[in-house]
Amino acid sequence: MNVYLAGRGLACSLGLTVEQALSALRVGAANAVSQTLPGTLGGNYPYHAIPYKQSDWDARARMLLSRVVDEAGGRRDGVLLVATSSFDIGAVELGGEHSDHAVFSAKVAAWLDWTGPVYVISTACTSSLNALLAAQALLQSGEFAEALVLGMELDNRLTSSGFAALQLLTPTTGKPFGVHRDGLVLGEAVAAVRLSVTEPSIWKMLGGANVVDGSQPTGASVAAVVEMCQQALRSSGLEAGDIDLVKVQAAGSPGNDAVEAQALRQAFGKVPPLISLKAMLGHTMGASGAAEIVLLCASLEQGVWLQYEDEVDEALGLELASHMPAVVERMMATILGFGGSHAAVVLERS
Amino acid sequence: MKSFAITGRCIAAPPPPDWRVQLAGMLGAKPRRISKWAELGLYGALRCMEDAGESALPHDAQLWLVSRTGTHAATRLVLEQLREDLPMPLAFLQAQPGQLLALVAAQINWKGHACFLAGAQPQELFRLAAAQSGAGGVLLGQVDDVGGEVTNWLRLQPVAAEARVVGQKSASCIFDPGANFLSWHEADVHTVGSLGCRVA
Repeated sequence: MNVYLAGRGLACSLGLTVEQALSALRVGAANAVSQTLPGTLGGNYPYHAIPYKQSDWDARARMLLSRVVDEAGGRRDGVLLVATSSFDIGAVELGGEHSDHAVFSAKVAAWLDWTGPVYVISTACTSSLNALLAAQALLQSGEFAEALVLGMELDNRLTSSGFAALQLLTPTTGKPFGVHRDGLVLGEAVAAVRLSVTEPSIWKMLGGANVVDGSQPTGASVAAVVEMCQQALRSSGLEAGDIDLVKVQAAGSPGNDAVEAQALRQAFGKVPPLISLKAMLGHTMGASGAAEIVLLCASLEQGVWLQYEDEVDEALGLELASHMPAVVERMMATILGFGGSHAAVVLERS
Repeated sequence: MKSFAITGRCIAAPPPPDWRVQLAGMLGAKPRRISKWAELGLYGALRCMEDAGESALPHDAQLWLVSRTGTHAATRLVLEQLREDLPMPLAFLQAQPGQLLALVAAQINWKGHACFLAGAQPQELFRLAAAQSGAGGVLLGQVDDVGGEVTNWLRLQPVAAEARVVGQKSASCIFDPGANFLSWHEADVHTVGSLGCRVA
């Protein structure tokens, strides 16, 4: 049974719609603002904020989620899979109640007038890809005809401060696989991927994999990335040579980028063309999988490609594609995250 | 329909008073630098695996976890630290529910698909896990440390394709201690008790 990407929506630092984000991508306009964090390791860090201001956290979240879900289209009685690592902690920081997760789930459903079942998946940075894997399985079971994966990562100090405390942030810009890479830039995003088994579209989801490696709870492991790639290919009925493009994590971390590069060389042998969107979007944590897939699919359809400011680190033994590959029939999108989580999905042009 | 035999369980709501001593015994040492929520989860998962007679999960098994409040206690601690300074790195990591998945995976010597579902009912967790599970089955957990300590776990193995589980009843809770089988079909979860159950 084919599972199609029938609709999409996006609000990110590049704009409040997919089209606005693409327009910003065309001119290479990354929009990071400055965020001040407390303490001796604090200070000013760049942050990819969504360009929409509203002092009431819940009201802002409701508006952004509603816009993005409207943009993705479809019904409100299918299965909704919300993917987030920070839930509504931004509202709690501003004095809101720290309710249990069922209250959060009900709040999101009410914002969207959603009448179908709602699941909230939280596996840190891989949340959206795990939500896509769950959605695909539910659709293929025949239980639902439509599912909406909604990645949601909105402004809060807890996440930024936690990353700063771990000394993972750069004070300058994100440099995927860059020779001068020195850390991540975080960002906000709300992204929706609407999956359908009845509405054919340009892209379909073939399969994917999620591999948790408990030996590396804060970083990526080579063995787990290789296993992730192999499992994702097997579940999609493909071999390494069938992949035309890989959207990598490459968040600009000195250690993790090196691990990822080594693993990609092992998994693929001849590494396919690579793209990273982190320099433009920032790392949008639990929303990143959905946000980057939405932007990547739109970019491929409209012939928009991004350029990287920093030179790629030759020691990594691979490079980011400077031009759009002539043919992209099948691509793999990966995200690596906290909790030793390594996830990938494989998409094919219909 | 997917049906599973329950091959191991730990139903601990609440856990025994000496659960922390038991956990230290299973780990060989007192756990350090992890939250109480994670300790509770580890205790239940390891007890369940012991009950199933397994020391490690097969590579194609899956680990699924649900919680009503998850890492709320650890998150509150981070928010308090944030008033004046950055949080302690370990405190921030403890606020990530995925850390428990990694801890359990490390303890049972396993790498594979693991997922945390926030705020759902246990039968909803089973529904998602059943939809994705393969031949290795599932280790399914429910862990909470706010409003009463709970660490309920089931080790589920798929029943052979030709088997038919009969005598089903709708489940009020998949962690019913009398259930020997679980099955799932189109939004309905069933438990089957040992009495009146047969697998043909």
